[in-house]
Amino acid sequence: MSERTAEQPGRPALEIARFDAGRRVKGSLALSVGIAVFALLFTSFFPSVEQIDVEEYTEAMPELFRELFNIQAMTSIEGFLAVEVYQFIWVLLLPLYVAYLGAGIVAGTADADRLDVLLSLPISRSRLLAGKSAALAPVIVLPNLLVPPVVYVGVLALGESIDPVTLLAVHALSIPFFAACGAIGILASVLVMDGDLARRVALGAIFALYLLDSLSVVAEQDWIGAISPMRYYDPTEIMVDGSYDLVGVGALLLLAGGALAIATVRFQRVDAP
Amino acid sequence: MPAIRTDDLTKSYGAVVGIEDVSLTVEAGEVFGYLGPNGAGKTTTIRALLGFISPTSGGGEVLGADITDPAALREARANVGFLPSVMGFPEEVTGQRYLDHQARILGDERRDELLELFDPPLDRAIEEYSTGNLRMLGIVRAFMHDPDLVILDEPTSGLDPLKQSHFNAFIREEAAQGTTVFFSSHVLGEVRQICDRVGILRGGRLATVEPVDELLHRGGKRVRVVTDDPARVGADLEGAVERTVHDGEVQFTYAGDYQALLSHLAGLASVKDVEIAEPPLEDVFLHFYGEEGETDSGRGGDPASSDEPTPATTAASTEGDDV
Repeated sequence: MSERTAEQPGRPALEIARFDAGRRVKGSLALSVGIAVFALLFTSFFPSVEQIDVEEYTEAMPELFRELFNIQAMTSIEGFLAVEVYQFIWVLLLPLYVAYLGAGIVAGTADADRLDVLLSLPISRSRLLAGKSAALAPVIVLPNLLVPPVVYVGVLALGESIDPVTLLAVHALSIPFFAACGAIGILASVLVMDGDLARRVALGAIFALYLLDSLSVVAEQDWIGAISPMRYYDPTEIMVDGSYDLVGVGALLLLAGGALAIATVRFQRVDAP
Repeated sequence: MPAIRTDDLTKSYGAVVGIEDVSLTVEAGEVFGYLGPNGAGKTTTIRALLGFISPTSGGGEVLGADITDPAALREARANVGFLPSVMGFPEEVTGQRYLDHQARILGDERRDELLELFDPPLDRAIEEYSTGNLRMLGIVRAFMHDPDLVILDEPTSGLDPLKQSHFNAFIREEAAQGTTVFFSSHVLGEVRQICDRVGILRGGRLATVEPVDELLHRGGKRVRVVTDDPARVGADLEGAVERTVHDGEVQFTYAGDYQALLSHLAGLASVKDVEIAEPPLEDVFLHFYGEEGETDSGRGGDPASSDEPTPATTAASTEGDDV
């Protein structure tokens, strides 16, 4: 009881963000540790992959596969990490998870009573949504803080070396990317207003956008993939070519902002389920 | 300024009507019971009042704020306490942490005082709470910022009898201090103990609003007598209606003078068991609406309830022949 102070009420959106983010920290830490272990495991495979004759290996593959997976980059540790760890976990798995969590923030059927309690507070719906959205921060930020040092040490332990700036860049640039994916989940949440369905819609949307980006390149219809966040975050490009797509960062922030703006306008008008 | 006012408040979901043309006024400092069977539209009314859903037509005011004006209603909500019928609290945090969090948004000048009356285990995670503990946490949350108006949706379900009587006394005390209480329930017995006036909702329509004494007088008592000689029981007793006899057990609803009832019962021989209880809500309705009530077959076909079902304000509520 002693830590409690009779505080004056105020800044409800910040308080909601703080409280919800606090509830996410433990899970996000566990997730980050799991990813770090997975990344280490994969990094340890590199010496054996390095010995494969990649030319011969890729010759046997269909053109489509080579385009999709950029197999040739795998002979360097950067390329190997990009393809085996980042293309998979950072471009697909984590975005799916962030969008899944985003889809849950405006509670659905199962959580309808919880939404009523929130809406009974003296806070506008736009600020409520902003606070709940900001509370996705731990799951977006913590993996990007905890995994890079583990990967860096792992690479050194293998006797290889990697430019720490490159490694930091691939993580830093993923933050706007995750934010965009989270915003897509939040949009699904507000449009569907049913927790379970919204989560499924969000997962489906992220996966569809992932495929859209990959396939539109293959199909030489690049412009279609322009709405996909995956278009603007390419770990292989960052790690192998060392090129940072800062215009892409702008596009991702625009995507996130647009999705949140639509979600806010909708949330202000919609009936709670 | 009334604490709550609604004008023809209507909420429909496509073809399904939640509430229809609900017009009521709750005065400041009043304890208003909002009574109706499950599914009658009590929660729908509350959700429209607090702005969770927008009315299909009609409108209303809460503490002077138009319920269709989100900014005005948001300000008003700072002075409203709300207890939902189902406690949707985050599960993995402790009660303490949750109240701390809510306090930073609402304020909590009365928290310690409330926790002496209602004492959920604050250091345990909310997911471990029993229904009664959840309810107590909800009650503390609803009152801790000392609101002017409290909206309680089925507040006593899950409370044990002792806590329930604490709660009733607490509500009366709050009302005496000037807090307005809007209280929904499907149990007549609890409403009668603490409310000044009662609105009865039936099939989404407000059937009547009247002082609780009046309602109880009309609703009468449910009398059950077990005896070897059932034929005499309640047979020629004025005020006894809906009399049924089943083996040695006689049941009837009594809306007459209580002294006469007791004399009648005292004159019976070989009474094995006797019970005088609150009538079930449905019985009150039956008694209330007579034939229309009895033939009621769900909503859609209850025109009787809409056109001034009772001249509630004509009869003075000073008869006071009730408890």
